[in-house]
Amino acid sequence: MSTVTVIDPTMTATREIEFRDALREAMSQEMRRDPRVFLLGEEVAQYNGAYKVSKGMLEEFGPRRIIDTPISESGFAGMAIGAAMMGLRPIVEFMSWSFSLVAADPILNNAPKMLYMSGGQFGCPIVFRGNDGAGGQLGSTHSWCVEGLYSNVPGLKMAIPSCPEDAKGLMTTAIRDDDPVFFLESERMLGMKGHVPEGDYLIPFGQAKVRREGTDCTLVSFGRPVNFCLDAAAELAKEGISCEVLDMRTIRPLDIDSIVRSVRKTNYCVVVDQSWSFGSPGSEVASQVHQHCFDDLDNFVHRVHSADVPTPYAFNLEQEYLPNARRICEAVRSCLYRA
Amino acid sequence: MPTTVTMPRLSDTMEAGTVIKWHVKEGDTVATGDVLADVETDKATMEMQTYDDGVVAKLLIGAGDRVAIGTPIAVIAVDGEDASSAGAAKSAAAAPTTAAAAVATNDEAPVVVTGTVVMPSVHADNGARARISPVARRMAEELGVDINSLRGTGPGGRVIKRDIEAAATRKGSGAVAAPASIMPVVAAPAPAAAASMPVVAGPGSREVAVSGMRQTIARRLVESKSTIPHYQVSMRFNMDPLLELRKMLNAQLEPQGVKLSVNDFIVRACALAMAQHPYFNASWAGDRIIIHGEVNVGVAVSLPAERGGGLVVAVIRNADQKGLRQISLDTRALAEKARTRGLGPEDMMGATFTISNLGMYGVDNFTAIINPPNSAILACGAAVERPVVRNSQLCVGTELDATLSLDHRVIDGAMAAEYLTTVRHNLENPATLLV
Repeated sequence: MSTVTVIDPTMTATREIEFRDALREAMSQEMRRDPRVFLLGEEVAQYNGAYKVSKGMLEEFGPRRIIDTPISESGFAGMAIGAAMMGLRPIVEFMSWSFSLVAADPILNNAPKMLYMSGGQFGCPIVFRGNDGAGGQLGSTHSWCVEGLYSNVPGLKMAIPSCPEDAKGLMTTAIRDDDPVFFLESERMLGMKGHVPEGDYLIPFGQAKVRREGTDCTLVSFGRPVNFCLDAAAELAKEGISCEVLDMRTIRPLDIDSIVRSVRKTNYCVVVDQSWSFGSPGSEVASQVHQHCFDDLDNFVHRVHSADVPTPYAFNLEQEYLPNARRICEAVRSCLYRA
Repeated sequence: MPTTVTMPRLSDTMEAGTVIKWHVKEGDTVATGDVLADVETDKATMEMQTYDDGVVAKLLIGAGDRVAIGTPIAVIAVDGEDASSAGAAKSAAAAPTTAAAAVATNDEAPVVVTGTVVMPSVHADNGARARISPVARRMAEELGVDINSLRGTGPGGRVIKRDIEAAATRKGSGAVAAPASIMPVVAAPAPAAAASMPVVAGPGSREVAVSGMRQTIARRLVESKSTIPHYQVSMRFNMDPLLELRKMLNAQLEPQGVKLSVNDFIVRACALAMAQHPYFNASWAGDRIIIHGEVNVGVAVSLPAERGGGLVVAVIRNADQKGLRQISLDTRALAEKARTRGLGPEDMMGATFTISNLGMYGVDNFTAIINPPNSAILACGAAVERPVVRNSQLCVGTELDATLSLDHRVIDGAMAAEYLTTVRHNLENPATLLV
């Protein structure tokens, strides 16, 4: 995987830290700033987090704000939603988004609808966060990409960072947001290093970032596959194909304007999304591109998704199942009629 | 599946190609990158390589045959296939299945005469709906390309963006300059090569075969001269300050191997003038004028007899952004390449203004034919010493006569005079060309 280093000259100071450090920094800074913010989840306190994201936070903030929960997602997610309705700002860590499925009723049926159903009396300012997607040979039940399922629900926001800088900037924005934010991380990226600004750092939701400029084909992605897209773009550049890689950063809200601007320039669009293809963010993006760019397209929007099967356990099959750089290259060539 | 090798498009304006020589014969084993044949296009003779490994099952046309691009010309059996059956199956299928093949077979002679190929219509098959991508449809409308004249290269014959771009470039080489009623897009046999009066070979006369390049020159210049309302405006420039500056610069730059020609100064003077006079960097597009974003100055280069003679236009890209040194280096490299190896299509595409200079032959002045889709061409004579009057005194000065040929649809006479005045200012105050 390529390391993405994005340096914004306007930043006062950056240093290289890991993705997990960037998440912790955002949470800790917000907890210092706002006493209503607290973190709960399995093993987040005494064990420093199953993936060490919350390392040291118990020492700083104490057990009233860094809370170890029983293995009961439905219970602690529901409790946190109640706390949010009463004015606190909880951060709920799911060890894996795969485990959030047992909490579907509170997180999908309560949190995103609360503001609507209460006629504006109760909001739900909460962040659900955890590892999403294939973590590396975790098998079918522990490798869920929930963006396809969950982004379907109105009332929630969904942020999916692809690099440490965005992890911090989007997490800070998520904690300050008044709506429930589904924050999707990846076990495969927690150790990724990158330049991250110190101090307060917010990335507004609904603003895609051009990770690589290009003229021949627009690659639209979010989260971990953005890095696969950058690898593919480097490979395709050797063939004289110049790809523009757009990192959506949030898919709800979706920055369709940036996609449209790019596709009007390139006339080709390939969407790369690691969820399954049927009823996915990728299919939604394709639909919107077809709507807004119909007269700008030289080919239908091509999509690269995880294969339409339960995630395989075997290493080689899992690699092939994911939207890897080779599959992205093939889709781009096909879209550009160069296959 | 055996692979069918078709006549490739080797240049933007290429419509048909001639296999000059086959480098392989049936039964030969070939690997990717091997040269299959020498193909003569309208511009040059180029090597055609194979993109497949396998055995040559069948050569579908002979050396000397000229066919439309896209026409099957050979069949390669890939690993494990029976070469003889692959060849037989394919050659039987080739002619009737694709319209392109039919065109090639029927039109072999006319193709040679007209230098154009009528592409089968996208509507042709059983009146089926045209398959065309949305952006291709939009571009066709914008560029005035008739989609019925195209054969799509996308799946199922879908007309896609590159087909429109290729058609627009082909058209740009002549027809973009004229309304559709005058110059139909479906390349009507241009009056180019066909002589208007019967020519009888009398005693003592001899015939010379015409190269692809000569046919292109004939076709494009007849199109240009017969469809563009040409007129000329001339101006005389005082070259004394420029020659003095050039002498000084060349003396100083000699250790670096840089030798600036008068033409290099003219290229820069013309290119810089485009900022004030964008219509000289423009094309007539039927119902509107396209002002180009880049200033690409074409320089006419004559080829020596041993390369078949003729003339090509080498393109100095973004000439307005290049200094004299770079213009000089680019021009020299392109001229050298043109006279030795021959220019590739990328060296000749995209000129937005052209300069023809016969000064080195001692020509005082002449007029040139516009190089479509340009709107203007500057014809330069030699810088010669003449008796001149300066400050009411008769003295000896060096002067150069330049004549602009212009497309009156884009540029009016007063505009031409203003452009030449700017060029004159640039040349007569040559220090301005240094910055």
